[in-house]
Order: sequence, then structure tokens, then C-alpha cells
Amino acid sequence: MKYRFFSFLIDLIVFLIGVLSLIAPFVFPEISSPVFSQSSYPIVVSLMILLCIMIIFIEIQSSILDSKIIAFLGIIIAMNAGLRFLENALPGPAAFSPIFFLIILTGYFFGSRIGFLVGTLTILVSGIITGGIGPWLPAQMITAGWVGQFSALLNYPIQKFNLKGKSGEIIILIFYGAFWGLLFGVIMNLWFWPFIGMIPGQNWLKNASIITNIQRYGAYYFTTSLLWDVTRSIGNILLLASLTRPVLKIFNRFQSRFTFQYRLAENQ
Amino acid sequence: MKNTAVWIFWFLTTLVLIFFMQNPIYLIIFLLGLISLGYHLSEKDEKSTWLKKNLQFLATIIFVSAFINGLFTHSGKTVLFSFPDSWMLIGGSVTLESLTYGAINGITICAIFLLFRVLNCALSVKQLTRLIPRALYPIGMIISISLTFFPSIQRRICEIKEAQMIRGNPMKKIRDWLPILIPLLVSSLENGIILSESMTSRGFYTRKTKNTPIFLIIGLIIGTFSIFSGWIFLIYDYPAYYYLPLFILGGIIIFFILRALSIQIETTKYHQEKLSKNDFLFLVFNLTFVFIFSSFMIFGNPTSLSYSPFPAISFPKIEFIPIFLTLLTYLPIPLITYDHH
Repeated sequence: MKYRFFSFLIDLIVFLIGVLSLIAPFVFPEISSPVFSQSSYPIVVSLMILLCIMIIFIEIQSSILDSKIIAFLGIIIAMNAGLRFLENALPGPAAFSPIFFLIILTGYFFGSRIGFLVGTLTILVSGIITGGIGPWLPAQMITAGWVGQFSALLNYPIQKFNLKGKSGEIIILIFYGAFWGLLFGVIMNLWFWPFIGMIPGQNWLKNASIITNIQRYGAYYFTTSLLWDVTRSIGNILLLASLTRPVLKIFNRFQSRFTFQYRLAENQ
Repeated sequence: MKNTAVWIFWFLTTLVLIFFMQNPIYLIIFLLGLISLGYHLSEKDEKSTWLKKNLQFLATIIFVSAFINGLFTHSGKTVLFSFPDSWMLIGGSVTLESLTYGAINGITICAIFLLFRVLNCALSVKQLTRLIPRALYPIGMIISISLTFFPSIQRRICEIKEAQMIRGNPMKKIRDWLPILIPLLVSSLENGIILSESMTSRGFYTRKTKNTPIFLIIGLIIGTFSIFSGWIFLIYDYPAYYYLPLFILGGIIIFFILRALSIQIETTKYHQEKLSKNDFLFLVFNLTFVFIFSSFMIFGNPTSLSYSPFPAISFPKIEFIPIFLTLLTYLPIPLITYDHH
């Protein structure tokens, strides 16, 4: 219990540092150094996020990982990275990506830590395979991690209203997928917006109030990304609506095989 | 020339140089160097594709950046043409200065992007995986398993897809994914069971290792927070004695904790990376560049590193030492060519 409390506290603090790094331009508007407007800004944000991810990894690997979970995660992540390539072969709208539904479902079914690992490592592995390693990767990783991590929270309303196995469960997951389809894009723009956003009325404004900068960011997001992200949301809705039930059945079938524990016989 | 540490050192040095340079002449020399280096490093039959793809990307980014800035920022003296003031946002003069400023921003973004592309070409998947710190050994293991299984999963996807198409599945709707995904998920998880059994029977990471002391994790958080605080001081333009100690303190804490965690993990390296003669030369050249750059920043006059086209455009100031420093991106080319021969 004590360890779980500490784990929760660590997750919370690291989450806050990660979020603060991303929203620094809103919270600290009196920034005056020229460093802020230079190309080093997105790199420093990426470094901060990378440190946050590392802390959570170390915490997770000392709390839940064993050989079975390692094998399970290795396979699931390889499969999800494989699905990322399938998105080119199968029809779908612009930002439509098949990786999120599996991240959401693993987080929902196996818990927040597994969800976080599936999210972050799917992005990392596909980045390594495609040569897509760059300053954008840490932000993508942590956001995909959060998609998986927070999906575990859906268990509370679903259990409270006794929706397990009913269509209400799928509806809640669909709403969650649709919401994160948009939020993923909102978060992904944050690490470079103060540096790249140059359009008047849509760029970061020094000494402006948090509300003003949020409004300007909102305008930037609506004109540059919303349409793109809506297609991701629609993709998530369609995939979760059609695939949730059979995938959860399979997870249910394999859960005990991957999570059992060895114990010494009592007479030994 | 394959040593990971040497390439990473080169990468970090180049990244720092790009951060400090806003002079378009230096940036263009950097960019050309990175393009030719990437061309040399890419696979033999993919060279032209690599070049075409990246040039297209660079042209798009530089053009879009210049266009947007030119359209919306109306500062500068050299007016090219004007839109009526009544036109919302874009109404006003389009100046050469604002176009140039946008293009310089675009070049900086492209240089950073290309630097990462070059690193991706220079290091193999195995080398990239090895960069994961030893303290994150189980995470590294998950990534290794994923990378190992990835080709077989790709093959399996193709097999299932072909089988479904032969059966008349048109593969046009989302629902048509179901006959691909379900067999793929089941067969992959079965493979995972076999793998986990063989790992368990060999005694690999069988017990849950709840042995990372909590104070080490708290230490990592303190180290990260220290770097974060230093960054906040830096962007508020506080003097260096505010943020430098915080950066150093954070870095030292994180380094020693990772080291302490790494010592607990025993690993066997079957193939030690060697430092070849060319790697050594590359490292020496790199160190020379770092020395020259540091000396230039401390004793020289680094004003020519920055450039602003406002209020009226002028030709950027050029100095010998920064021009020499931009050659860092060309440095690996002769060594790679020598390696190939």
C-alpha cells in the first residue's frame, strides 16, 4: 500500500514536471531570454520530457515487470508498430492511425503502467525502425504514453455503473478515443509552437496573460491542426467501435497466462 | 567508421553549433554539408530517393516559412509589393526582410531535422538500441524483443492479408481489418507465451525486482527538477551563476543515480565496439573543433554568428573561424569514403 502510494506520488510529480515543460510559455509569459525564441527551445523541452519518461520507466520496471510481462509487452509493441505500417496499406483519412486503439485497450485492460509502456515504446520502436528519431519523438512518446496511462481510469466509471461487457463500456471507450484523437494533436503542437508559430494573432505573445496565449494557441490549433486531428478521432471511433469486443475477449483469454506468479510448494 | 560514441559526440557538437548560429551563410554551408553527408551515408540503391525526399522537404519548409512570415509580418524597409490595408491579417507591405527572416528560421529547422536524419543513417538499429542506458535494462529488453519480432509480424500481416483477399475479403472498410487483426493478435500472443516460458525457464528476470530504492527515484526527480529550474532561470535571462549550478547539480545527480542502478545489472557484451583508426581520427578532429569553438566564444568576437535582416537587409558578416567550424558537417565524408575503399 505504502509502495503504491509512493508510485502514485512519483507518477504525479513527474507528470506535473512534464506538463509544466510543455506549457511553460503559458505559465511563464515574462520570459525574456533570446534562448527562448531560438531553436534550442524545442530541444530543451524534449530533453525535459525524456528525463520524465526515464523516471517513470525506472519506477515501472521495479514494480511490475517480470519475464512474462516483458515478453508480452515486446510482442504487443512489435504488433502495434507493425500496424503503424499497415496504415499505409489500408484506407483511412489523413491522420488516421491504427496504433491508438491497442494502446487504449491495453491501458484499460492491463492497467495504467502497461498502457504507458505500450504507448511510449510503440512510438520509440517505430521511430527506430523508420529512422524517425528526432526532437519530436519524446513529445510523441509521452503523449502516446498518457493515452494508455489514463485509459486505466475508465475502469472506475465502468465498474461503478456496472457496464462491464455491456455496450456502455464500448461507448465510454469510444468517447475516450475520440477525445484523445484531438488532445494528442493539441499536446503535440505545444513543444514547437512558441518557436514556429509566426502567424500574427496565432503566435506566442510575451508578457501576455495565460488566457490570451491560450486563445492565440487555440487560433493556431484551429487553423493548422483541427481538421487533421478530427480524422484521427474518427479513426479511433471506428476502430474502437468495431474491434473493442473481440480484442478484449482475447486479452481476457491471455491475461492469466501472462500474469500468474510462481510460488514454492509449502513442503519445500 | 562505425563507433556509436564518436558519432554521438559529433552529433551533439553539431547540434550546439547550429543553436549558436543564426547567420544564414553559415547555416547554408551547414545544410549543404549535412545533405552531402546524408547522401554518402544512405544505402547504395536509395541514394537518389534519399536526396530527392529530403530536398523536397527542405524546399517546402524554407518556402512555407518564408511565405508565412512575409505574408503576416510587415516590418522591414525593402517593400516588394503591398496588399490593401483593409485585407485582414495580410494587409500591408510584403518586405524582403520579413521573407528573409522566415527563410532563416526555415533553414534552422531544416538543419536540425537533417542532423537527426543523418544520425539515423549513420547508426544501425542495433547501435540505436544500445544507446538505451543499462539502468533501463528491462525496457531495453522489451525494445529488443519488439525489434526482433517486428519482421516476422510484418510477414504474418502480409500472409493473413493475402489469405483474406483470396477468400474474397475486399479490405476496404474498417470491419475488414477484423479478420487480419484477430488472428494476428492471437498468434502473436501465443508466440509471446512461448517466449516468456523460455525466458522464465532460463531464469531471466523471474522475480519482480522491487529493489530500486525509493530514494534513488526521488533523487532522479530532484535532479530533473533541478535542470527544469535552471532552464526557467535561463529563459528569464538570469545571470549564468543562477542556472549553471542547477544544470550541473541536476546532471551530476542523474549521472550518479543511473550509474548506481547500472552497476546492479550484470550484462555480457559479446561484441565490443572497437575504436578504429578512422574513428579515432574523427574523434580527434571533433575535439579540435570543440576547442576552437570554445576559444572563439570566450576570446573571439562571436557577433558574426548572429544576424538580423531588420530594419534593412544587408549582407551577413563573415569570419574565418565560424566558416571553418561549419566544415564539421563535411568532416566525416572523406573518412567514410576511405572506409568504403
